[in-house]
Amino acid sequence: MTKTRIEMKNVHKRYGHNEVVQGVDLKVEDNEVVVLIGPSGAGKSTVLRMMNGLETTTSGEILIDGTDIAKAHVDIDKVRQKIGMVFQHFNLFPNLTVLGNITMAPVELGLMTKAEADKEGRRLLDVVGLADKVDARPAKLSGGQKQRVAIARALAMHPDIMLFDEPTSALDPEMVGDVLAVMRRLADDGMTMVIVTHEMGFAKEVADRVVFFGDGKILEQGSPAQMFDHPQHERLQGFLQKVLEA
Amino acid sequence: MKRKWLLTTLLAGLLSILTWGMPREQVQAAETYTIGTDVTFAPFEFADKNNQYVGIDIDLLNAIAKEEGFSVQWKTVGFNAAVQALEAGQIDGVMAGMSITPERQQKFAMSDPYYKSGIAMAVAKNSSIQSMKDLKGKRVAVKTGTASADFANANKNKYGFTTVTFDDSNNVYQDVTTGNSQACFEDFPVMQYGIATGVGLKVTNKTPYEANNYGIAVLKSHQADLLVKINAGLKKLKQNGQYDKIVAKYLGDGSQASQAKKTKATQETDRSFLGLLKSNKDTLLAGLLETMELTVVGILCATVIGVLIGLLGVVPNAIAQGAATTFIYIFRGLPMIVLALFIYTGIPSLTGAHIPAFIAGIITLTLNEGAYTAAFVKGGIKAVDRGQMEAARSLGLPWGKAMRRVILPQGIKIMIPSFINQFIITLKDTSILSVLGLLELTQTGKIIIARNMEGFKIWTMVALIYLVLITLLTWLSNYIQKKVH
Ligand SMILES: Nc1ncnc2c1ncn2[C@@H]1O[C@H](COP(=O)(O)OP(=O)(O)OP(=O)(O)O)[C@@H](O)[C@H]1O
Ligand SMILES: [Mg+2]
Repeated sequence: MTKTRIEMKNVHKRYGHNEVVQGVDLKVEDNEVVVLIGPSGAGKSTVLRMMNGLETTTSGEILIDGTDIAKAHVDIDKVRQKIGMVFQHFNLFPNLTVLGNITMAPVELGLMTKAEADKEGRRLLDVVGLADKVDARPAKLSGGQKQRVAIARALAMHPDIMLFDEPTSALDPEMVGDVLAVMRRLADDGMTMVIVTHEMGFAKEVADRVVFFGDGKILEQGSPAQMFDHPQHERLQGFLQKVLEA
Repeated sequence: MKRKWLLTTLLAGLLSILTWGMPREQVQAAETYTIGTDVTFAPFEFADKNNQYVGIDIDLLNAIAKEEGFSVQWKTVGFNAAVQALEAGQIDGVMAGMSITPERQQKFAMSDPYYKSGIAMAVAKNSSIQSMKDLKGKRVAVKTGTASADFANANKNKYGFTTVTFDDSNNVYQDVTTGNSQACFEDFPVMQYGIATGVGLKVTNKTPYEANNYGIAVLKSHQADLLVKINAGLKKLKQNGQYDKIVAKYLGDGSQASQAKKTKATQETDRSFLGLLKSNKDTLLAGLLETMELTVVGILCATVIGVLIGLLGVVPNAIAQGAATTFIYIFRGLPMIVLALFIYTGIPSLTGAHIPAFIAGIITLTLNEGAYTAAFVKGGIKAVDRGQMEAARSLGLPWGKAMRRVILPQGIKIMIPSFINQFIITLKDTSILSVLGLLELTQTGKIIIARNMEGFKIWTMVALIYLVLITLLTWLSNYIQKKVH
């Protein structure tokens, strides 16, 4: 039987009077790749960021491996160690080298010795195709290289879950392929992933499930084939039409 | 772990610095009384060319003390600061050519009169003003809180003049010689002495207005001991002729010619820039040292407090942030001179606790410069892209670790220019602490000028010393900045 990694139960989020998430129920199983799509402002980022507690909920529950992360006794830092996150704008640490970016957290948290972390860091850089950039400063890298370092940084914590918020949106088109290739490999290796993206081709190819958001609600979800070839909801039909035209 | 250790060391250092400043101000061995006096009120108190305080008041009380077997610790803080310090109970008495008035008799215990004085009206040498009748529509300079000032204010409606007040006699005279004011009122012997020293004024009245008596003010709680001793000693000195000797030493037969002769003994002979620099070298150096001490200790304390409060201002906790904001709001908002006087004379008058001037100065610098430092530390941290904190936290780093490993290293780079700027401002702001009577560079300059009236040359020296200091500090800061990068 499969294990549920993430479970959101009737989650709401309000900013002032603006309710940007309006009762979302969503489960992500182990090894599953879930892609969140939807128009701008639909609440995709907010939902994703609530999964590792970067955003609080107004009401509802979020369970990670069965524990409600909003509970007072839960150590959110411990939970986050098992959830990697990749941001649209990379957010590499400019004060550290590429290798330092990757090794800092595991060493600082006492999970690895400096030597172990260095070795693991080099291995991960090799995996993402940047073995030659070990000692480079992040500022010297291209966008695509930065994003691959960011992925390696998240992977160094050996997470069970990876969250991606539009990881390729800030990249020049010719860089997108390298990053998607790394993500594809992760998916093939069985990583549990939640991805917000506008790359429909990629979604179709790697997603186990596609979830369509509109106005803070899940309007439709299903397999890529269902969603892309036979969209039911009027909003999804309109959305796909717009995206594919562009 | 390392961080805690660092913090402990810093705090320990801070404490030892604070207590290190203490002993030299700590007084009150048995039978030692602290007496406040004016910075310059020649011939009653002034610094001679060796920067030793001399004058009728100084010599007289020292002689009384010897006679009665107690010792005196003089605090040359300026007339107003001395009176305030006495009101606050920071010192035991004030002797500063102070007229005996009913108000003062109510507030303090006043000694028997020791000198009969009165008020002189002085004008520029070439002025046609001859008496108070000629003052209609004119401006008159007086020194704050003096009997002359009261006299001027009581007569200004009758004669139709306005008044302007200054803290130092020198500034009063200066205002008349430059023509900003057309006359000044001053204690008779003081004015005579000043003119003999080279002030370009003349006295218009032959006999003093409002003849009055000088007395020594002491705390009412000293009525039974100090006051009794002073009165007894004064009586003895008058009887055995010592009193007359002391007065004659400074005033001669009271004529200007004899005063001029006396003056020579206390003044520099070489009045050229280099000559003045040479004769005041040690005094200026002592002032420079005090300024540097204040600056270094001030910068250290202000930086520690500023960084701590700045960090408090970004802790994700409403109470901590509120506390930091309030601290910054209050201490950045208060003029430093108000803060300094509040700490030095305000708090002690409320609590009765003594605060030595050096400590009060350091506390002032720490709070004021610390508030500015806190503001830019907080700002520097906030200027770091918030995605940095999110990325660090998403890796599972606790807030403190994320702060230390990711945010601060980036924030500090942003803050460095502000730090250098703040260090320079702190150096300059130590001059404000001259109001506490601290003998730093500015106060030293004031005192030298009060004696020799060479404002232009001495202020030029003081300004040049500050510029050299600031240049050195800037070089040092830039050097450190390069090392950090
Ligand atoms: N901190 C905030 N304060 C107020 N409103 C916010 C905040 N963060 C997000 N919002 C609002 O919440 C709504 C959902 O934002 P969210 O970023 O989740 O949308 P999204 O689906 O990720 O859109 P996009 O495709 O543009 O990234 C938007 O209307 C946004 O303006
Ligand atoms: Mg978004």
